[in-house]
Amino acid sequence: MRALPGLRGPRAPPPQPLLLLCLLAAVRPSSADSHPPASSITSLPVREERLTRCGNFSLESHNISLTERSSVAVEKNITLQSPSNVELACQFTASGDPNAVNVSWTKEEQPLESGYVIRAADGVVHTRYSFTISNSKQLGRYSCFFQEEKEKRGTFNFKVPELHGKNKPLITYVGDSTVLICKCQGCCPLNWTWHSGNGSVQVPLDVQMTDKYVITGTNVNETRLKIMHLSEDDQGTYRCHAVFPLGEVEDHLELVVLSYLVPLKPFLAIAAEVVVLVTVILLCEMYTQKKKNRPDDGKEFEQIEQLKSDDSNGIENNVPRHRKNESAASE
Amino acid sequence: MARRAEPPDGGWGWMVVLSAFFQSALVFGVLRSFGIFFVEFVEAFEEQAARVSWVTSIGIAVQQLGSPVGSALSTKFGPRPVVMSGGILAALGMLLASFATSLTHLYLSIGLLSGSGWALTFTPTLACLSRYFSRLRSLAMGLALTGVGLSSFAFAPLFQWLISHYAWRGALLLVSALSLHLVACGALLRPLSLTEDPAMGGPGAQLASLLHHGPFLRYTVALTLINTGYFIPYVHLVAHVQDLDWDPLPAAFLLSVVAISDLVGRVVSGWLGDAVPGPVARLLMLWTTLTGLSLALFPVARAPTALVALAVAYGFTSGALTPVAFSMLPELVGTGRIYCGLGLLQMVESIGGLLGAPLSGYLRDVTGNYTASFVVAGAFLLAGSGVLITLPHFFCFSARTSKPQNLVTVALDAKVPLPKEGLEED
Repeated sequence: MRALPGLRGPRAPPPQPLLLLCLLAAVRPSSADSHPPASSITSLPVREERLTRCGNFSLESHNISLTERSSVAVEKNITLQSPSNVELACQFTASGDPNAVNVSWTKEEQPLESGYVIRAADGVVHTRYSFTISNSKQLGRYSCFFQEEKEKRGTFNFKVPELHGKNKPLITYVGDSTVLICKCQGCCPLNWTWHSGNGSVQVPLDVQMTDKYVITGTNVNETRLKIMHLSEDDQGTYRCHAVFPLGEVEDHLELVVLSYLVPLKPFLAIAAEVVVLVTVILLCEMYTQKKKNRPDDGKEFEQIEQLKSDDSNGIENNVPRHRKNESAASE
Repeated sequence: MARRAEPPDGGWGWMVVLSAFFQSALVFGVLRSFGIFFVEFVEAFEEQAARVSWVTSIGIAVQQLGSPVGSALSTKFGPRPVVMSGGILAALGMLLASFATSLTHLYLSIGLLSGSGWALTFTPTLACLSRYFSRLRSLAMGLALTGVGLSSFAFAPLFQWLISHYAWRGALLLVSALSLHLVACGALLRPLSLTEDPAMGGPGAQLASLLHHGPFLRYTVALTLINTGYFIPYVHLVAHVQDLDWDPLPAAFLLSVVAISDLVGRVVSGWLGDAVPGPVARLLMLWTTLTGLSLALFPVARAPTALVALAVAYGFTSGALTPVAFSMLPELVGTGRIYCGLGLLQMVESIGGLLGAPLSGYLRDVTGNYTASFVVAGAFLLAGSGVLITLPHFFCFSARTSKPQNLVTVALDAKVPLPKEGLEED
């Protein structure tokens, strides 16, 4: 890597490998006659993306505008993953004489003595601080201060990219396999590593066990850890580390491994409840059927009794019956 | 067992309503909320969304195309054993799905097995319900079908909770346990013998006689047309309003509004169907026309208030036409043939349902927005309501006959086409 002069010097030329790649792509014979020549360049997507997005020593320039009415501290968050030349600019619209405004820069509350210029024109004070970030110690909060009546402050916060992970624990079952994913937006780390462990004990995963762990990643900005033949020992916290030139970031994922008995118990409970319901319903029905049949039996019994007594009455007391009939007929 | 001349219109019938309520909840509520598993399947099997959505499509298709089988079996054996075995099949399908290791397993277990289980439960239950009620039939139908709407509300968060605690495998296991309640619902379907039952003959004779029954065929055509247009908003409403630059949350809220007014519409229409004298066909035509109009007006509405109003109108009218559509069938074919009639009807109208959504999607792809598809859906509904006018007794203003028509002679010789007008006079 060549040492670059300050930003006042000529702009850095594009990184050499990219230039070489373009030349190679142009020279490479196209695979089919029907394809237009442009496709031969796009046939190397991943590599090119890595270089254009993760190119070293690109120029980052950022701007903050302040006025009398701005809130006391205006902050801008900037994610940076590889060494770059940085240009920070602040401008302040002064209510009075711009030359009377006191301008200063700090890094992490430590005042900076040099590296910045101040310019006043048309009632606006401009200041620009140019520097190079080449290692993680140079990340942090850089602030510009404008002192007129009150102090106005603008802060540029440089950080490495953050990882977006799922907050919810991943639930799996014994014998199943699962995929843990770590990814970050628009970043290209140099390396991804995985560790497992709870609390302070961090054990790097043994990637030699290819029947258990497989690490893949289709894009540079994500990594996938596939764990197969899960057992209850695999339960716990897994951490993925992304290593950038300017620092390291990690994210943790929680894995829960359940045995099949866990959902099986409610299942059996509900199945038992259904069996009970069905039995109750069918028993109720049989009971009401029996009740319906029993009064009928009772009635039949009474009728038989009635007939029997009528017959016996008829045989024994013929005469009174006759008389009864006659008396009934006469009425 | 004593044969009744008239449906009981109450008594144990209300328990059948309860059973139908839970069944429609467990069949259609589960189907509608299955979208929550969709996301999990896409992740777990690393398949495309289109292939995963075939799981529910196969389930719905098997449920609808298998309806005649369920009906024929329940004509022969009564609804109770059929529904109970259907419940066991549906639960078994879900149980096997929880062990799935590939998408094909899901197609077979949820699609085929659970689908055929559902085919054996839903249609026989509604048919059994029609036999238990005559005066209050529409109300009973309306109340029973509210199960669909309410369960969609309840099951969506429930499934989400199950998945977050047990992952999709455990969640499927517990949904299987839930589906076992279909067996309990089936146990509630006490068999009912009505006077015209013995004359109706076996399922084969009934099916044959139905296929010669003019009004039934016209009714089937009408419902197929209605079904083609009916489902389109459920599939495309959210996408349509997102085309109009709505955010996802208000768009989902719009669907909830449709669901609530659907629920209200079902109950109101059920009550109205019994309270208003005259053929139920007229009410059906009214609701269908209104649904068609509200669908056709969708592309015209731009303002949010107009869209919400139209959504409420669509929900209400489309919910209203459902119980009336089901309760009209016994009037046409008689309670003796209701099982086979309903099964056949479901099978044919499902063709409309299967064609409707893809047709709408195709129109959207061709024209670029949903205007054409909404208008076509409305047109289908209006066409269906037009066919309803051709049904007998439509313009007759005498009191509605609740007794099934004298169709005993029909069953005796199914090969003879009946003189329709003469036989349907009371």
